[in-house]
Parts: sequence; C-alpha cells; structure tokens
Amino acid sequence: MGKAYKLVEHTFDVVVVGAGGAGLRATLGMTASGLSTACITKVFPTRSHTVAAQGGMSAALANMGEDDWRWHMYDTVKGSDWLGDQDAIEYMCREAIPAVVELEHFGVPFSRTEDGRIYQRPFGGMTTHYGEGIAQRTCAAADRTGHAILHTLYQQSLKHNAEFFIEYFAIDLLMDNDGTCKGVLAWDLASGELHVFRSHIVLLATGGYGRAYFSCTSAHTCTGDGNAMVLRAGLSLQDMEFVQFHPTGIYGSGCLITEGVRGEGGFLTNSDGERFMERYAPNAKDLASRDVVSRSMTIEINEGRGVGDQKDHIHLHLEHLGADLIHAKLPGIAESARIFAGVDVTREPIPVIPTVHYNMGGIPTNYQGEVVTLKGDNPDHVIPGLMAIGEAACVSVHGANRLGSNSLLDLIVFGRAAAMRAVELVRPGQGHGALRCDSVDKALDRFDRLRHSDGDTPTAKLRAEMQKTMQNHAAVFRTGELIGKGLIKLRELFSCLSNIKVTDRSMIWNTDLIEAIELTNLMPQAIVTAQSALNRTESRGAQARDDFPKRDDKNWLKHSLASIDESGNASILYRPVHMYTQTDAVEVIPPKARVY
Amino acid sequence: MAQFNLPANSVVRSGKKYPAPAPVPGHSVKRIVVYRYDPDQDENPRIDTYELDLDTCGPMVLDALIKIKDEIDSTLAFRRSCREGICGSCSMNINGANTLACIKAIKDIKGDLKIYPLPHMPVVKDLVVDLSQFYKQYSSIQPWMKTRTEPSSGRERLQSEEDRKKLDGLEECILCACCSTSCPSYWWNSDRYLGPAVLLQAYRWIADSRDEATDERLQELKDSFKLYRCHTIMNCTNTCPKGLNPAKAIAEIKKLVATRGS
Amino acid sequence: MNVNMLRRNRFSGIIPLGKGAVVHWWMQRLTAVVLLPIAIWFAFAVAMLAGASYETVVSWLQSPVVTALLFLFVVATFYHIKLGMQVIIEDYVRGWLKSASLLTSNLACILLTVVGIAALLRVVL
Repeated sequence: MGKAYKLVEHTFDVVVVGAGGAGLRATLGMTASGLSTACITKVFPTRSHTVAAQGGMSAALANMGEDDWRWHMYDTVKGSDWLGDQDAIEYMCREAIPAVVELEHFGVPFSRTEDGRIYQRPFGGMTTHYGEGIAQRTCAAADRTGHAILHTLYQQSLKHNAEFFIEYFAIDLLMDNDGTCKGVLAWDLASGELHVFRSHIVLLATGGYGRAYFSCTSAHTCTGDGNAMVLRAGLSLQDMEFVQFHPTGIYGSGCLITEGVRGEGGFLTNSDGERFMERYAPNAKDLASRDVVSRSMTIEINEGRGVGDQKDHIHLHLEHLGADLIHAKLPGIAESARIFAGVDVTREPIPVIPTVHYNMGGIPTNYQGEVVTLKGDNPDHVIPGLMAIGEAACVSVHGANRLGSNSLLDLIVFGRAAAMRAVELVRPGQGHGALRCDSVDKALDRFDRLRHSDGDTPTAKLRAEMQKTMQNHAAVFRTGELIGKGLIKLRELFSCLSNIKVTDRSMIWNTDLIEAIELTNLMPQAIVTAQSALNRTESRGAQARDDFPKRDDKNWLKHSLASIDESGNASILYRPVHMYTQTDAVEVIPPKARVY
Repeated sequence: MAQFNLPANSVVRSGKKYPAPAPVPGHSVKRIVVYRYDPDQDENPRIDTYELDLDTCGPMVLDALIKIKDEIDSTLAFRRSCREGICGSCSMNINGANTLACIKAIKDIKGDLKIYPLPHMPVVKDLVVDLSQFYKQYSSIQPWMKTRTEPSSGRERLQSEEDRKKLDGLEECILCACCSTSCPSYWWNSDRYLGPAVLLQAYRWIADSRDEATDERLQELKDSFKLYRCHTIMNCTNTCPKGLNPAKAIAEIKKLVATRGS
Repeated sequence: MNVNMLRRNRFSGIIPLGKGAVVHWWMQRLTAVVLLPIAIWFAFAVAMLAGASYETVVSWLQSPVVTALLFLFVVATFYHIKLGMQVIIEDYVRGWLKSASLLTSNLACILLTVVGIAALLRVVL
C-alpha cells in the first residue's frame, strides 16, 4: 500500500524535528556552523508552546542580589529530589549565565533593573547559600518571557537563513537495521505530499505530552510526537512517572498563571482565608517547589478547605501588589485572568487548581543531547544518529520535579549543546549511505492504515477517555490500586486504537487524520507513564504515592526506563543516577531530607 | 488589483445543515455558520450550519469549533494550539471581525455565530489560509537585532527602564495576521505593501535602543508601496486581539522617515 | 476566495521610489494644511459676495492679496488632487491601465491648473 505514495526526498546533514525554544536554538547553532540543517515543525515556529512560558529563565547573574551558579545547582538537585543527573545539572547551571547573556545579545526584550541590567525575580525553590535565603535568579521579560525568547530565536534563525519545513508533520523515524537513525518521514500538510528527510542526525525537539491528561496548561499540539516515535523505534523513555502539576492553572480552563505571580509577592489562600503554605513550607512558603505546593493545595481541597461552591479550588491573591506593579511585571496574566476567569486581579483573587504542566520524563540523553539507552552493562550507550533536547528529552536535569524557570534554561543550554555536539559528529556535506527501504514502508503502512481507518470509535471520544483516565488515575496523589485500575483501562483503550474512525481521507490539511496520529502517539506515552508510576513504589518529587509516602533512596535512586510493545504492554528497566560532577568546581550533593 | 466581484469558482454556496439533537429544556442553542472549502473537491466553497447546545460547550468560539470537530464533523479544518491567546494560531474572521477564536467569548456575539477564514487570503482548506506571503514579508524587514559595537564581554547590553518601556505594545505581537488581513490597503496590495503587522515589527526594532541600524531600516522602508500604502484606515488597531496599535507604529515610522530624511 | 483565485506570489517587482515617496507624503500634508484655511476663506468670501455686481467681484479679485491667494488655491488644489488621485490609482489599478490612468489624471490636473490660472489672469489683468 505504501507504494501508492509519491515521496519527495531531501538530504541534510541534520534534521531537527520541532521548532520550539530548543529546536530553534539548535537549528540556528547548526546552521551558523555550516551544517545543512532542516527544521521540520508541525506549527509555525512562533506558535510552538515555548511561546506560552511566562515567568522566566533562571541564571545566577546576580543582577539583583548575590548569587552563585553552585547555589543554583544545589537548588536544582534538591528540586529534582536527587533524581537529576548531577553532571548535567552542573553543566546547565554553569552554562546558564552565558546562555542568558547570549539571548540578550540576540535581542530578547528582557525587563530591566534600575541600572539597566536584566531584571530577575524570585521563583519557587530558588535560594541563596544552599537553601538559606531567597534568590532573585529568574530573568524575565515581563510575564511573557517564553514569547520574547521564542520570537527572538526565530528571528535569529531568519538571520542565519535556516531552512524550515513549516506545517510538516513528522510521522516516524527511519531506523536502520543496526539501530542507527537515518532520517525521518514527514507529511507536508499544505501540499499533502510525503517527504523523506535523510540525515546523519535526527534531533528530536518535540516537547512534552501534556495532552495525555484532561486538564493541562499545555497547548493542543503538545502530544509528545517525538517521544512516541522513539517508543515505536523500540527504544525506552526515562522517568515517565514524573508529571509536574503546576500549582496555578486557572480553575476551569487550565490556562497557566505563572509562578512569577508568587515570585512578585502573590500568595495562596484556602476557604478560611488562611495562607496555608506557611504550614507546609515554613521557610519558602508560597515559593516552595511546585510539587510541594501542588500537593499542599490538593490536601487543602481534600480536607474540605477548598474555595468556591464545590470547594474544589484555591485562591491566588495579587490584589495587594497594586495596579502599577501588575501592569509593569504581570500584564499578561492580568489579561488571562480577565478573559478566562472573569477576574480583575487588582480587586479579586484568581481561582486556581494544580494542573498538568510539564513532563520531567522523556527521551534519555547525555548532557550533549545524544540519546542514550541501557545496552548490556552500559547504561550510557549512545544511539547513533539520534539526539533529543528540550521537554522531549530527559537529560536528566529535572529529575523527579522541575523548578520553575529551569525549563527555558534547559531549552537554550541543551539546544546549544546539541548544536555543538552535532558539529563535532558530522562533517558538512558528508555522503549518505543507502537507506533500508522497510523502515519507510513500515511508516507509510502505519500512516495509510490510519488514514483509511474505518472503525467505530471517533478519535475525540477515545482521546477524552484516555485523558480522563490519566486525570483520575495518575494525578497528584497516587496509590498502587488506583494506578493499576487506570492501567487496565488504558490497555483497553490502546486496543481500541485499531478500531478508530477517521472520516477525512484527504491529504491536504487533514486535521482529522493528524488528531488520530497524535492520539496514537499519546496513548503509548500514557501507558508507560502509568506503568512507571505503578512500578515506582516510593514517593519522590512529583510522584506522590499514598501507599509509599517516603522517599526510598536505597531502592529507588535510579531512573526508570520504560518501553512498550505493539500490543501496549510496557516493561521497565533502570539506569543509575549520575552521582558525579563534571569538574572540581563543585562537589556532589548527597541526598538528604527535602524540606522547604 | 482591486476586484469587486468574486470569480465564479469562489462564489460561496449554501452547504450542509446539522440541526441540534433533541433540545434539552432550559438549554440555549446557537446557530454556527462556518465557511468550508475542500481543495480536493472541484466545488465552490460552501457555508455549513451547525446548531450547538451552548450549555455543554466551553465559553470561547474555539471551544465551539472543537466541539463541532469532536462531535459533529471531524473533517472541519482549522489551526489551533495554545488556546490562551499567545500563539496566534486560531486567527479567523468571526462575525465580521478578525480575532483569535480562543479568546473570543461566544456570549459576546448576538445572533448567529459566523466564522470565516481571514479575509483576502488564499484559502488552503476550510478556515486554514496560506500565510506564506505574510511570513516572507516578516523576514524581509530583517527582524533581528543589528549592532556594530561589541557588548562588554560576558555581560548583557544595558538598557534603561525607560528605553525598555518603548518596546511595550510592540514586542507583544504574536504574528496572528489579524491586523494585516483586516486592512483594505493590504487586501489590494499585499504583494508590495508590508501591512500593519510587519510594519509594527519593523518599528519594534527601530524603537529598540540596543539596535544600531535605525537609518538602514528607515531607508529600506522609504517606499511608496512598502510603507505609504497605509492610509490610516485604522482597521488594524481596531481588530488587534492583543490590544496593540499598529497604526500608531506606522505613523511613528512615517514621522521618523520625514524628519530624519536623508 | 479560493486558492486558485487568490494565490499570488508576486513578491518581486518592488519598485523602490525612495525619496519620491517621502516627498509625496510631505507634499500631500503640506497642500492639505495650505488648503484648509484658504478653502474656508474662499467659501466665506464667495458667500459674502453673493448677489454682488460683476464690477464688485472683479474689483475684489483685482486686490493683490486676493489674486495671490486664489492663485495659490488653484495650484494647491490641483496638486493635492493629483497626489490623491495617484494614490487611489496605485491602490486599485494595475498594468497598462495604471499608467494610462495616471497619465490621464496628471494631464487633467495640469490642464485644469492652467485653465484656472488663465481664467484668473484674464479677469485680473
């Protein structure tokens, strides 16, 4: 059947899939270094979900008080609940400073301090002197930092004449017999043609899969397509049980309200009007890390102290900050609160609820962006030709819980690192060997089968059931029994995928088919998420097991590696956490109790 | 060139009607009229009509479109992503005004809800238009920072709070193209007139105290078509879903060109 | 509005008019500013002269200030019209029709200016 499609072929040194912050930073780095680089993206670059990041990007610039990248590293390791790889965290926190300066030189319109430097605000879990004081470390462009950075990176890509394939949907990786990645098959939505991109490296920068859940801050397009391609290639995803709930999604719509609100002095209250975070995190209070705040809010609601008619949400106050500060530093969230909650933030609190926000898990990589896996005794075996960065990747710098404003940092630092690594690995213009045909045919068959799928379950129905299952069975608090039930349900839904109904058979902008493909991408990720959560019998970071409420470093200070077979059965292996640093500039931070 | 009648193959026909299922007492039903065009069929565009129970639908126009796609007609094509008004994907013409479907409340619209693609753009399918010319024009103004002086090594360039304030209302643009496609001057001359969105972006760099290519930028814009097709019609400013003022930015450019003229 | 009708990719063919465009923009504003008071004055003056005899009107016209202002009025009016017509034609018309329309419009403006001045001189001299 695959033969019926005419294929357009391209050869590049590198193909980047995804044009968010990470993908763009890598693309422009590679292009500037002389590698022929194609950036394939399913949405126009400035519409990628990086655009919605609000609060900022962390870097120990010390513009607004003393700071040191080692403190930043300590905070990140502690935030990760010691599951982060310390060599990678060291690299990220050290490189943060040149990375943010580089962005400024690119033209990012950062807010400014009185003396004209980049403005920095406090953020959850960011401290000075290894947990003593509160750091002002998060570089911000009002509350639209992601927008400012993404647009600037796209502008820089234009400057370097980067080659984009916009509104091309990546279908599958082209993997060789020996496990080398040789390219990617993509679908041009505007012309309806299928394109084979041959390259020495495929760099996945496809973002997270927040849409596996019913209520998330993520865009509709956050379906983890790269993660799913990796699973289909028989590889594993790492630490998928760690799904971050952002404490302040707008009640109802799920739209994000930045942690920067609390950084600027906002706070949460329950139905008694109590600032309850003072009880849960006596030092950091409302600026404890996200997993802690989300859990505290959930406990408040579960114990009957939620606000509203249903007592099912919490209030976020910023009225006391005054209209001037709100206008200058938080204009975007004032607009969002007005539109989506009907609230005037200068007078009333915003109704908020913990909402799925970020996937700490993803494609396991080293700090240079190369995809790694466990092979025999080697936990750091590199998959040739395949790299991953950004939310799609699990380096792992976020471990079991990401700190706010470390995500934009992750994108930029590892986007740049991946570009530098690609330059080392590939000689510009290097020849391409013959491509084994069956990987293309396999991808085409899958595409064609879905396109003509004439079952009786509409995509939307199956998707809604998967999202609700994840929301109910793999949320803030989990138990083995709850996840187990969810997993059974998810496997049922997985088997329904073969019975999916696609109505539109056309090739041009067939969004019916796109959504069906995205669902087939989400479903296996949902299963490995639930399986990993069930498997990890401890509480660490974003994984809070009621039946195993303690962290268990003896048995679980290790990464989960989950893979899935064609019938939807996940299996799990492990990789050790990197408990070492890259240089002598800093010492390993040994695990200890995590108190905020 | 201006055309005053639609060519025969673009005349819109009336299309399918999808009546609401048995009405639930007390629920309100809204009629939603949507422009449809299928490039694979050799047919004219048509108008489909859907009746939706608003009590089971989210508050925004985008929610209505998603409900139609999920429950009634999965072939309906439209762009969407962030659903919170920051990505600029779901720009379309709603009851005569260009805006973002995700932040346009259904209750703000009296009578039938009428959804069309952005005006005067080539339609690819249904509500999806071809924006490649718009993007090409965006890159034509070289929207990146140009400097000659080196920044002090390892540190950011300095910019005062006042200078940073000059970028407010400019850098927030999300490139949704609502303004440009609402501009009659852009309708007739989109091949040569840059349009409000792109001119706003041009001014964003002119206004940035760190950029050192102001004269070069002004020189590039000094063209009877690129810049001076703006006739201060003001549709751009009226329609901008982010509340920006492209018309003012264009006026500022004209003023600078006239006063710094060389 | 379908693809066939509106797919336009004529990004080339940009004619940079450079300084001309700026002069055009300046002159349009300058003539507008000049015309505004003169037009009001002229309207008032004509209203005041309503019903006056031919000789009264001629002697009014022969006053040097009036002659000069009317001269300016005629020139500025048709120059302003010429600039405005140019914009309208450039907005809406393409190809040979555009050149032809511009030529016609410009000739008409020149002709009308000449006729206006000639008429004024004839009465005044």
